Amino acid sequence: MNRLDAIRGHQARRGKVLAVLPIHYPKELLTALDILAVELWGPPGPPRGPDAGRMQSYVCAIVRNALAFISAGGAAPADGLLFPHTCDSIQGLATVVRDFGSWPKPVFHYIHARGEERPSARRFVEAELERLAGELAAFAGRPLDGARLRDAIRLHRAIDRLRATLLDRRAHLPLGDRELYRLLRRGEYLWPEDHLAELEAAATGLAPAPVQEGLPLLVSGIVPEPMSVLDALAGAGAFVAADDYAAVGRRVNRHQPGSLDDPFAALAELAFAAPSCSTRQSNQVARADRLEALLESSGALGVLLHGVKFCEPELFDLPVLRRRLMERGVPVLQLETELELELSGQALTRIEAFVEMLGAAAGRGTG
Amino acid sequence: MISRRLRYELAGRAVGPLLAALEHRRGSHGPAARDGGPFGPPLASTRRLKELMGVYYYQGRWADGAVPVAWVTSGFPVEVLRAHGFYCVYPENHAALCAARRLGPELSEVAEAAGYSRDLCAYARMDIGSVLSGDTPVGRIPKPDLVAACSNICQTVVYWFRAVADHLDVPFVLVDTPFVYGDFQPHGLAFVAEQLEELAQVAARIAGRPAREVDIGRVVELAWRASQEWGACLEEGRHRPSPWTAFDHFIHMAPIVALRGTRTCLDYYRELHAELSERVRGGIGGVVPERHRLLWDNIAIWYRLRDLSRLFADDGFAFVCATYSSAWAQSWDGFDPAHRVHSTAAMLSGVLLNRDLANRLALMKGLVRDFSVDGVVLHSDRSCKPYSVGQYDLKDALQRELGVRVVVLEADHADSRAYSAEQIETRARAFMESF
Repeated sequence: MNRLDAIRGHQARRGKVLAVLPIHYPKELLTALDILAVELWGPPGPPRGPDAGRMQSYVCAIVRNALAFISAGGAAPADGLLFPHTCDSIQGLATVVRDFGSWPKPVFHYIHARGEERPSARRFVEAELERLAGELAAFAGRPLDGARLRDAIRLHRAIDRLRATLLDRRAHLPLGDRELYRLLRRGEYLWPEDHLAELEAAATGLAPAPVQEGLPLLVSGIVPEPMSVLDALAGAGAFVAADDYAAVGRRVNRHQPGSLDDPFAALAELAFAAPSCSTRQSNQVARADRLEALLESSGALGVLLHGVKFCEPELFDLPVLRRRLMERGVPVLQLETELELELSGQALTRIEAFVEMLGAAAGRGTG
Repeated sequence: MISRRLRYELAGRAVGPLLAALEHRRGSHGPAARDGGPFGPPLASTRRLKELMGVYYYQGRWADGAVPVAWVTSGFPVEVLRAHGFYCVYPENHAALCAARRLGPELSEVAEAAGYSRDLCAYARMDIGSVLSGDTPVGRIPKPDLVAACSNICQTVVYWFRAVADHLDVPFVLVDTPFVYGDFQPHGLAFVAEQLEELAQVAARIAGRPAREVDIGRVVELAWRASQEWGACLEEGRHRPSPWTAFDHFIHMAPIVALRGTRTCLDYYRELHAELSERVRGGIGGVVPERHRLLWDNIAIWYRLRDLSRLFADDGFAFVCATYSSAWAQSWDGFDPAHRVHSTAAMLSGVLLNRDLANRLALMKGLVRDFSVDGVVLHSDRSCKPYSVGQYDLKDALQRELGVRVVVLEADHADSRAYSAEQIETRARAFMESF
């Protein structure tokens, strides 16, 4: 099932569909209102319309491609758009789309509290969640039921637990990286219960002993695009043993809220307990700590820092991350891509050389 | 501590002003600030401006250890810190100064060697480069006790200032201003207001004492009145000919950025306003003759101010207003000292870059109308995305709705490596020929 099938199927059976820009948003609210979230990560490849030119060439490809796609009618099957306040560029895109007539249907936004948790920030997030819930309820045409919201929170906790299991026990999973990421990223557009069923089926395949034989790597970045990065790693003899992509691992929230009595308070608690992410302006030291913990738990031998060109939030984290990893003696490869469909020959060569170097250092042959 | 405090006070009240006066005497034998040509006579207030900014930076050399020191963003509620006796450093202002002295590439390269990408904000790279290398054209920047950012001008400053705080191992405080789509949201304003209270607690802890209510009120009053005075200076540009240009704004805005909340700042803008009014009465223009009137959008191109002003002025084009310089006046509109905290929260949240493009378009249309503008120059600033995203739509809307001519110039506010003189000149000349 692709995105378009998911949209049409949901509209026929359940309710409305929102196209959602990256990255973090309270999906539980949408689920509780029978709204399907279909995420819009560009899409990858060349811009699908001339309106990418309404943004300067120094704006990231996710934003330029999204503007082209939305303006050309690519998102028209959806009933509305949701813009989380991820960065200055997505914030700019939200106002371009809303204020300059690129989209005739409803537009919603969701604003994070930046930085560390504080009582004021917690109160703001709760109020922001309630504001968005009110707008979405009007959009869905029915009030938000507290019990259904609590059920939605439980459902997404179950999804995150399974995603965490699959990522934590990656070496035991008999799937290639491309298959694994396809599975995990189907959550970007499947109805959550359908996604949960797929994850459960995959989890039954977990082997008691490790089945991955390649060199274990930790990957971090925004989004695993182009997916040929994963093919390149596999081709060179490595596999993704631990994940810190903002689109994937950083959205796996392992926290369990203390109580669901007040579901908005629970969602706010979850937001602040989520893994450190540059797009929420989390503490860089905390993110470096998380990478070190992932290295320990996965046995990864090196780190691929895979960014999207012009992504300012991620670029500010990189010096700190590199410094910390190098202090530990962990080899790092920094790679920048632009949502192109295929990896360049130059990038491919760099990945091959990096994995070969890791293999030599570990006394293992690759490829 | 006492001797350091004494040295700090002496630097600000005696030595700094004396050095500034000597500097002026030395400079007065050199070439005039303006070489005539298409420009009106130079503003006399420029001398006072140089003095007070010189004293500000000179006094800063002796600030750490004498008084609490904070490094703050240009949109930060500095009034809270000033009321607690802080000396405030503005890395953006310092970076602009470095850029104007063409130190951008040199300082940026230090940051880039430390892993900061060339795609990041040039101010951030230059400031981080200055922190890492210790290089500055102002002698010495005092080490901060606090690094403080407000997200109302961009998210970038939050990353940048946090990185600096981590590097210097000093506390970091953030005042987060939720982005405003359409109207203000009550919970957004409440959040900002609450953070102002939190900030006052942090400031009191570092300063070792809470500020007196009367001091906070006095500083806010001074900041508000200086902002009104700055706004009045800008309003003089409505006259034909405009007594000054946006390139003058960019120079003379330094105090409203770096000294807001001080008596010096208010007095300076009163003086400048009086001079501008006098020029209006005398029919003295910033550009002679003034044939066409332009609006500038985005941050100044600091390392090419003189070249660009000359390029346009040679053909009688005067920049009579700018969204950038207006920002320090416009955000205080509607400020009510009787409801200080809530009003400050609205002021901080209402900053141009913290609001949607519909608001920016309305502001620009107002400037075009009020200042009788017949052309707009949009500086597409390579390393400032929040100011640049949406400019092509703004261009189309201004052309379509107001019939003004608009051109986009691609450059960077501080990194001269992103500047192509030939390309800019070709585009600017084609734009001017279209009139």
